[in-house]
Amino acid sequence: MALGRKRRWLVVSGVLAVTGLMMLSLWAAIPQEVRSRIAAAVQVHTRAGNLERKPLRYIKDPNPAWSSIAVNAENNMVVMTDENLFRVVEYSRLDNTPPKARFTEPKRIISGDQTRMEMLCGAYIDPKTLDVYVTNNDTQDWMPVFSRNAKGNVPPDRLLATPHRTWGITGDETRQELYMTIQYPSAVVVYRKTAANNDAPLRMLEGDATELADPHGIALDLKNDLMIVSNHGHRRFYGGAAVSTLEKETWEEWIGKTTADLNTLPRRYIPGAGKFELPSINIYARNASGNTPPLRVIKGPKTQLNWPSHVAVHEDRGEIFVANDADDSILVFKTSDSGDVAPGRMIKGPKTRVKNPTGLTLDVKNNELWVANMGNFAATVFPITAEGDVAPLRVIRGGPADQIGLMIGNPGAIGYDSKRQQILVPN
Amino acid sequence: MLSRTMHDIRYNAVDDEVLVPNPFSNAILTFRGGADGQEPPVRIIQGPNTELNGPDRLAIDVVHKEIFVPNRGGVLVFPLDGNGDVRPKRAIRGPDTQIEGSSIAVDPVHDLFAVTGRERAILVFNRTASGNAKPLHIIRGPNAQIDRINQMAIYPEGKLLVVAMPGVQGDMEPPRVFVGMWSLDDDGDVAPKWTLTGKQTGLKKPFAVALNPEHKELYVTDMRLNGVMTFSVPEIFQH
Repeated sequence: MALGRKRRWLVVSGVLAVTGLMMLSLWAAIPQEVRSRIAAAVQVHTRAGNLERKPLRYIKDPNPAWSSIAVNAENNMVVMTDENLFRVVEYSRLDNTPPKARFTEPKRIISGDQTRMEMLCGAYIDPKTLDVYVTNNDTQDWMPVFSRNAKGNVPPDRLLATPHRTWGITGDETRQELYMTIQYPSAVVVYRKTAANNDAPLRMLEGDATELADPHGIALDLKNDLMIVSNHGHRRFYGGAAVSTLEKETWEEWIGKTTADLNTLPRRYIPGAGKFELPSINIYARNASGNTPPLRVIKGPKTQLNWPSHVAVHEDRGEIFVANDADDSILVFKTSDSGDVAPGRMIKGPKTRVKNPTGLTLDVKNNELWVANMGNFAATVFPITAEGDVAPLRVIRGGPADQIGLMIGNPGAIGYDSKRQQILVPN
Repeated sequence: MLSRTMHDIRYNAVDDEVLVPNPFSNAILTFRGGADGQEPPVRIIQGPNTELNGPDRLAIDVVHKEIFVPNRGGVLVFPLDGNGDVRPKRAIRGPDTQIEGSSIAVDPVHDLFAVTGRERAILVFNRTASGNAKPLHIIRGPNAQIDRINQMAIYPEGKLLVVAMPGVQGDMEPPRVFVGMWSLDDDGDVAPKWTLTGKQTGLKKPFAVALNPEHKELYVTDMRLNGVMTFSVPEIFQH
């Protein structure tokens, strides 16, 4: 009798659990607009009332904040990510906004709550399919992939769960691999190019010996089998390898069998151990993994690195191009450079229209350097040999020429300076 | 020394300073109030004695000259003028505290601080609590309607806690988002005294809050809008 009751209870519990899971799945499948309407019908309870009213003032930049850029020269295709309006936009490589025009209309926009894109920070174009791969930083732990025809508020054609704070992205078409940087915990993660859903990475580069310090941009030099990573210089320490389980097995052995969420790896930080280091460009063997040191590091006051963001490599010229965000400049180093060296060339000055450049890519076919400027919503195109305070060959603007970007991005905090009556907004 | 990730900022009106945590370098940075451009901080709390472990948020008490930093399931308290590799003055941590620690705010008038707790809770402690202390009050439960908490602020004169509730993590446009306001005397499964939400507000994912009692204004940042809104809310400043 008791056993019968227990069985009945188990059956009832099972049915309830399955029903619950089905409800959750159904809720997730309901379009966001409908969900919002449902939610609006369910008011938040209060004791004294809801203070619903319009804001007195509203600070919002209506223009884009270009955070990354990718070019496919064969198809005259330029793709940029917009960290302000949460969009991927496509332009023609030959677009050039007339000086008096407010902006150039993109050929294609992908945006909306179905796209799984918010703090977009990296873009990669598949040279064969022209699929666009996008990295999200901080608020969406996904890499959405959109087909050549995707447009508007559409779900991605493919989604890969990526670690929290993924930033830069590049691809190795020969080996069909994707490389991404993770800002923090500082790491490089490599996936199969076709990875989807919760697929595990092929390898990770992480640990004290790597000297990774808040990494951002990533590029590959396949001619010399190198991986180049830019670092902002913010660093924490593990006392060796990052993941404690690695004491008993190699990273490849561990990652091959783990089902763990990569955001909850058993890392073992040393409390209190943190450091502000100078920004750097770290150069590794292309296939470096685990707690492996860089082959060489470009770092020091002569480098003028200051929040180095996306990077690109010109293999034939042996050059590394760096979007030097906080210095409003583009720096060019040799791939053989090491230590505290001055850049061989620099693009900087009022004629360049380079303002808080975070995105950067090369069009080797047409010998052009493309820069995505977050500070003035402009993509600026230069000859690959450009140097100094030179005007760009072409400019694609997403907003008016006489305005600058507010650069409010993911405003996670706010303060009020009562002395100056100023609102403080970190980004 | 600022990272691209800054999840808190507090203005010290007494000393005219601005404090910001840097979780990637395990540091608390203090800048001059009028700091501009690439000006270095005037003080940095950083080093092995600090025990800092990814400090993401902080709160300051300008009356008792202290900095409160949520730290891996606890709270570390530093002197407001601390510089270098300083030890915390005290630490609140242990299973009885129930601290989760994604956000914090201090009330120097009533000697209280509020911090986020495990299982979607707001915990209120005595300001001078230390060790494995139990919270004085716990706001938690279905009526509290807490999905996730970002930045918190306190209006001490009204003993009022103001909390940014951006909804379920990972949801692009979460169905339940609001700015919630509770009394620091509230305890148990209680609904917020006031909320700020609804179509007119335009809020989609409120991430942060700050108060301006002089002008009876509430400032709210919204992550989904990448915007900053100012609301006139005289009701909450009446006490």
